[in-house]
Amino acid sequence: MATEAYAVDVDDVVKRFGKQIALDGVSLRVRRGEVYGLLGPNGAGKTTLIRSLVGLVAPEKGTVTVLGRRMPQLAVLAHVGYMTQQAALYPDLSAEENVHFFGAINGRVDGVREALEFVDLWDRRKSVVSTLSGGMRTRCSLACALVHKPDLLLLDEPTVGVDPQLRVQLWDGFRKMAAGGTSIVVSSHVMDEAERCDRLGLIRFGKLLAEGTVAEIKAKAGVDRLEDAFLKLSEASPA
Amino acid sequence: MSASRVRAITQRLLHQFRRDRRTLALLFGAPLIILGLLGYLLRGGGDVPKMGLVNLDLGGNGGLVASTLERSKTVSASRMSAADAAAKLRTGDIAGYVVFPPDFSTVAFQSHSIAPEIHLEGSQPGLSQSIVQAVSQSFVTLAGRVGGIQFAPRITFLYGGSSFDTLDYFGAAFIGLVVFFLVFVITAVAFLRERGQGTLERLMASPLRRAEIVLGYMLGFTVLALVQSAEVLAFSLLVLHVHNVGNVALIFLLEALMAIAAVNLGIFLSMFARTEFQAVQFIPLVIVPQVLLAGIIFPISTEPGPLQALSRVLPLTYAVEGLRNIMIKGADLTWSSLQLDVGVVLGFCILVILAGAMTLRRRIA
Repeated sequence: MATEAYAVDVDDVVKRFGKQIALDGVSLRVRRGEVYGLLGPNGAGKTTLIRSLVGLVAPEKGTVTVLGRRMPQLAVLAHVGYMTQQAALYPDLSAEENVHFFGAINGRVDGVREALEFVDLWDRRKSVVSTLSGGMRTRCSLACALVHKPDLLLLDEPTVGVDPQLRVQLWDGFRKMAAGGTSIVVSSHVMDEAERCDRLGLIRFGKLLAEGTVAEIKAKAGVDRLEDAFLKLSEASPA
Repeated sequence: MSASRVRAITQRLLHQFRRDRRTLALLFGAPLIILGLLGYLLRGGGDVPKMGLVNLDLGGNGGLVASTLERSKTVSASRMSAADAAAKLRTGDIAGYVVFPPDFSTVAFQSHSIAPEIHLEGSQPGLSQSIVQAVSQSFVTLAGRVGGIQFAPRITFLYGGSSFDTLDYFGAAFIGLVVFFLVFVITAVAFLRERGQGTLERLMASPLRRAEIVLGYMLGFTVLALVQSAEVLAFSLLVLHVHNVGNVALIFLLEALMAIAAVNLGIFLSMFARTEFQAVQFIPLVIVPQVLLAGIIFPISTEPGPLQALSRVLPLTYAVEGLRNIMIKGADLTWSSLQLDVGVVLGFCILVILAGAMTLRRRIA
């Protein structure tokens, strides 16, 4: 699977929920070993896009290809890690038991310790999840997403509720994973996080407004700050 | 105490319910359904118990009582030969029969004692009672003619007997019911929790197949359900000494099938609920009518016709009947009636397993 040029290839995807259009002809490609940031306000379609990458949303139009496989396909999901926005964990199980379970359903349990150390929860591994703080649950949820050492990691706002110090630490971890060949798609509405992505996709009202490196996007908008670039590009293409 | 703060809570509550149409429908619909069902069951002019009359009396009194019984509104009595009556009792076509022996009239006049033989099927206490009552009432006419007479029937039971108490009759049915009910509720709620806490989304984004999820759930809960079944059975037999003449392994087999069916019914129905609250609402809709109609309390043969048809399609009916067949009548798998009971429960199991796996797939696609 490592021979495929793109980790993610989304081509002209359309998805509506009733009258609400969630994805309006989105096309984007994520290269191997790249950290791709999906940037956009709440309700822009980031979560729907990520869910379409794991086959939880069936597009009405367009195609989604993940790690060289046309979605939906079950087998490829063993190589994909998905962290939902809400910390999806079993509250009655310990942190370690949760991570072990999600490893097991993906066919790999050898990375439990590494995953828990990555999120700095190894010392709290015996704690039952319902006794953990919100930030710890987010971290545990992240550990569950990467325990099976996926080739593609999908992170839906992974650093919400995580303190700044750990956030820096997690981003260092993401960069390290990317350097090791893992492709990462991360959604965020925090601009300083976006600066750490290799490339960005700006998304609003279900449309991809702009795509490129941080420098490219700033240049396109003709401004110095990413935040200003986002605002300017949003104005340029009204809904 | 602030009236406006209290009012805020009251208002919020009513607003919430206005949005939850389903809970409202249940709140105002379910009582009517349940009470209506109960009313129809008790006043719907159901069938009366069937009984046989075997008149061998050489005098005229046997015939007199027999024709009084034939006119009775509380039983449906018809004349037959002794051999016929015995056979029909065994097949369950009649709930009992009364025999007036050849010396019936003579004895009645000589010793001022009426001694008919009443043979009862015995597995359903309600039916037995109706028959004994009808027979004793039919002698009122005769007693008036003879005067100062004693009613001393000789009663025999095909199954059970006079030593049976209420628990012996209902124990068999309740063993199945308790397991079915609790396992259903626990599974439905657990599956909904998976949905609510977001972990189901994660499972769906993994290579897990839908059938693997359903099967995994089924096995997990089946382990719990089997332990519970064993516990309920042991308590009933060893502590409560509920009457049992049948094979304990067979009882456990039927219970285990019920438990598996309940697990899968729980998974299946949880697809139609958004919250745990809504899952609990299935109890009055799914469980209560089954309890009323499965023949646990009211014998199916005396229900109004349309309800009998309904009872005959409820799986719990066959489970209860099967458990009674085993525990009270000592049935084994060579009995065709037990084969039917086990077969229906097994079929229901397979049906809900398939339904659970299919609905899960549909919801995610």
